[in-house]
Amino acid sequence: MQPRKKSRWLVLGALLAVFVLLAAACGNDDDDSGSDPTAAPATAAPTAAPEPPDEPAPEPEPTQDEAPAREAPVTQGPNGETASPSGEIVLTADELAQIQEGGYTAALLWHISGAFTDAVSQGARDAFAEMGIEVVVETEAGFDAAQQANDVETAMALSPDIILSLTIDPVSAAEGFRPAVDAGVQLVFLSTTPEGYTQGQEFVGVVTDDLAAMGIAAANLLGNALGGEGEIGYIFHDAPFYVTNQRDQAFKAWIEINFPGIEIVAEQGLADPAAAEDIASAMLTRNPGLDGIYAPWSAGPADGVLAALRAAGASDVAVVTMDLDTNVSLDLVEGGNIVGIAADEAYEIGRTMATEGAYGLLGKQTPPFVVVPAIEVTADNIVEAYRVSLAADPPQEVLDALGG
Amino acid sequence: MSSAPALVASGISKSFRAVQALDDVSIELHRGRVTALLGDNGAGKSTMVKCISGLYQPDGGRIFIEGTEHRISSSRHARELGIETVHQTLSVIDPLDVAENLFLNREHTRGGWLGARIGLLDKRRMRKECADTLARLDIRIPSLRRSVGSLSGGQRQAVAIGRAVSWGQQIVLLDEPAAALGVEQTQRVLDLIINLRDQGVAVLLITHNMDRVLAVCDQAVVLYQGRKCAEVNVADVTKDDLVSYITGARTTD
Amino acid sequence: MNRKSISKQAPAGLPSPVGAWIDRYRHDGGLRQYVVYLAFALILATFSILLHDDGFLSSSNLLNIGRQAAPIAVMAVGMAFALAAGEIDLSVGSVVALSSLVAAELVGNYGFLAGALAALGASALVGMVNGLISVKVRIPSFLVTLGMLGIISGIARNWNDLQSLPIRNDRFSGIFGAGGLGPVSSLLIWIVIAGALGHIALHHLRWGRHVLSTGADRDAANAVGINTARVKISALIVSATAAGFAGILLAGRLSIGRHDLGEDYLLTVIAAVVIGGTNLFGGRASILGAVTGALIMAMLNNGLILMGLEVADQLIARGVIIILAVALSMREAKEA
Repeated sequence: MQPRKKSRWLVLGALLAVFVLLAAACGNDDDDSGSDPTAAPATAAPTAAPEPPDEPAPEPEPTQDEAPAREAPVTQGPNGETASPSGEIVLTADELAQIQEGGYTAALLWHISGAFTDAVSQGARDAFAEMGIEVVVETEAGFDAAQQANDVETAMALSPDIILSLTIDPVSAAEGFRPAVDAGVQLVFLSTTPEGYTQGQEFVGVVTDDLAAMGIAAANLLGNALGGEGEIGYIFHDAPFYVTNQRDQAFKAWIEINFPGIEIVAEQGLADPAAAEDIASAMLTRNPGLDGIYAPWSAGPADGVLAALRAAGASDVAVVTMDLDTNVSLDLVEGGNIVGIAADEAYEIGRTMATEGAYGLLGKQTPPFVVVPAIEVTADNIVEAYRVSLAADPPQEVLDALGG
Repeated sequence: MSSAPALVASGISKSFRAVQALDDVSIELHRGRVTALLGDNGAGKSTMVKCISGLYQPDGGRIFIEGTEHRISSSRHARELGIETVHQTLSVIDPLDVAENLFLNREHTRGGWLGARIGLLDKRRMRKECADTLARLDIRIPSLRRSVGSLSGGQRQAVAIGRAVSWGQQIVLLDEPAAALGVEQTQRVLDLIINLRDQGVAVLLITHNMDRVLAVCDQAVVLYQGRKCAEVNVADVTKDDLVSYITGARTTD
Repeated sequence: MNRKSISKQAPAGLPSPVGAWIDRYRHDGGLRQYVVYLAFALILATFSILLHDDGFLSSSNLLNIGRQAAPIAVMAVGMAFALAAGEIDLSVGSVVALSSLVAAELVGNYGFLAGALAALGASALVGMVNGLISVKVRIPSFLVTLGMLGIISGIARNWNDLQSLPIRNDRFSGIFGAGGLGPVSSLLIWIVIAGALGHIALHHLRWGRHVLSTGADRDAANAVGINTARVKISALIVSATAAGFAGILLAGRLSIGRHDLGEDYLLTVIAAVVIGGTNLFGGRASILGAVTGALIMAMLNNGLILMGLEVADQLIARGVIIILAVALSMREAKEA
């Protein structure tokens, strides 16, 4: 029993050594991994993957450097092709009748649940209902690639004709969606596609919200609110989620390109949404002259930023964020710190995906990539924005605030 | 009873920080005899048992088994030397069945060398030997396959004692074996102790109950505040004598 | 001295097997041990009736359920040992990811066997570290493994900058997930192997009995000379190694190593094990129950999806059923 104490410390020391070695062996320089757009698992980052012809450029093309324009820029594909607006994806009356007679079924295999997914799903369900297509399965994989592969298998038991999905991990999705491809199911993807899949062969098409345009919209909202002058803080989502990563990048790029009078004086990554308040407080402390803050999305980060500003009594700091949510909408219409919200037309994405599924059944050619526009939401257009983005009226609190 | 004592613990001392739990205590156990270890709470009975069973290392004193001196380094070592202890808190494993408890950590394996390496249990043989052992000790258990947790307190205690002697252990230390038992079950345990004695086992019994001492014990050693204050033949004393030794009112030394 | 009172009762004998079984059934918790199988049959019957023309009972869908249960089932077998020994292993999810990454890193250059063995080795090492710290420094295993969860997740995230590592090795994928023997997926075969090994280890090996003893009453186990420290360490090694094997199965099935594989499996695994009749606090375990619990979880997932429920309703239904099943097995346990 006596040598126990000594051996205990020996063991501890050895463990520590093992871990240091392990960490050293496999650790990469994580300094730049947070803000590096290639850290996103999606193939969507154009600088990293030039091949996929089905992805929008998340950032304005460098050529726009010379001619910074105030008007909304046109998102281009990586190879210069223009994105097709979702309005082009429509069925003729004959085609609609043909689909309605088919007795087709569809499966919705989402990545994760949330307001965005709900709106997309609702759009798809509505469009399918109009086409007489029954939605037989809806799943969400909790952002787990393995679960998504399970969901594909499970859905195949019902032999759907169409599958709408957002691939969580493009690499493993190539294997995960194989059963559907082999069965000849019409696949339509949201934003990312499985690696090695070609449009027109394995899948019908890809629809995406215009992530770059959302970033640009947020930049415009903040830039215009500040009159093109001032110091701002930039809080970005420090996690490998292509949606937020591309929006954040586009916001930052567009501020730098289009608003030379605005300086980003503070940059901070956010991994845990609950930490937003702390981050914003620290930013205000270090930069008392801050005029504006960008929060990567509304529910959580923007809430935290607003709380920090209220605590500091900084009612004159302008805030922009992404995605409609009750709290930020209320602040916007009540004339608080929020000066604008960038939103996507999630509902429209779902509708467009559903229609593309019908394109696949009809053998009709789909454009290489289809984007759904972004919306700049202000107090003036918020009711309309809710209807377009989420296919719903604003929450009652927001309507009350507008009415009063 | 004529040859060397089964166990001699001589001049055992043990202290914990400032407290002298045992001071120069000697004890002898003989084959085929039951020795009582008596004393009030805190007199050092359990400490003495733990020193003999290898759980404590005494600060001073010597232990002889069958006339040979040993330094007992662990409970495993004690067991190798033929000493088995049944502690106050039952040391049976509820979810295991009777046979598994009886053979716990001394399991028979099958499958030759490889079976022994991986510990492949020979359940049939263990059940058979378990049945034999229990029969020899006249212990009645409804089913050897039943988990010990479903047995009565007396049956569990019997299993614990059965385990103590199932491997031919010649020295058995029993620490309050009937503490939590009812009248009938207590009687069973006492019967079992007599049975052990008749089979030539040297038994040390710790108890508070004087009737039990008078019923089954041949000798009694009484501790008072860590010292041995009396050592008597049970046949020579009365219950009141024992009580007065225990309370420190009298000594034989 | 009146010492001649030896009772002359019939000594213990060997009753007939049927009688022994009935006796054990009556005294060892009765229905409790079979709750999980009952629940399995009940859920299977319910889905079979509700979904009889939605492909639930098609052989391909039943195979799906089995395949999808495989990683959880394998992890449940390992977790059952950790729980049986009175420990818990919260790091299993991160070990799945680590193992998949180690395998993906090595399979390409050194072949499928080296990749799989290295992944298992790395997982076992994590389990050993868990066990050594927990036992030697006397920190409860749920704290040690919680810390380890963070450490291993961090290592996994740094491994390839959060990107998937592709596996291009048909033998690896074939043996560990994508392939099979005829129509029988290799994943099903691995469930059977893991369940059989676990069952034999628990019931027919000395080690299994010592694990149960240690978890049931560590002092008593120590008193009979069992090295309970070593038993606890070995149980945590087994649970981590099982998680590592689950990682290999996922890597084989998806042909990738990835930092977030298995991230959310912990609670599903624990639910499967507890529904299966294993005590959360040690001393009682059922390997077949744990595997059945894993099949229940996969079947629930599959059936609720096939019912066409919306996601929110699926979550609610699954939660309710899990609580019911656990409540049933716990209630019976208390009565025992």
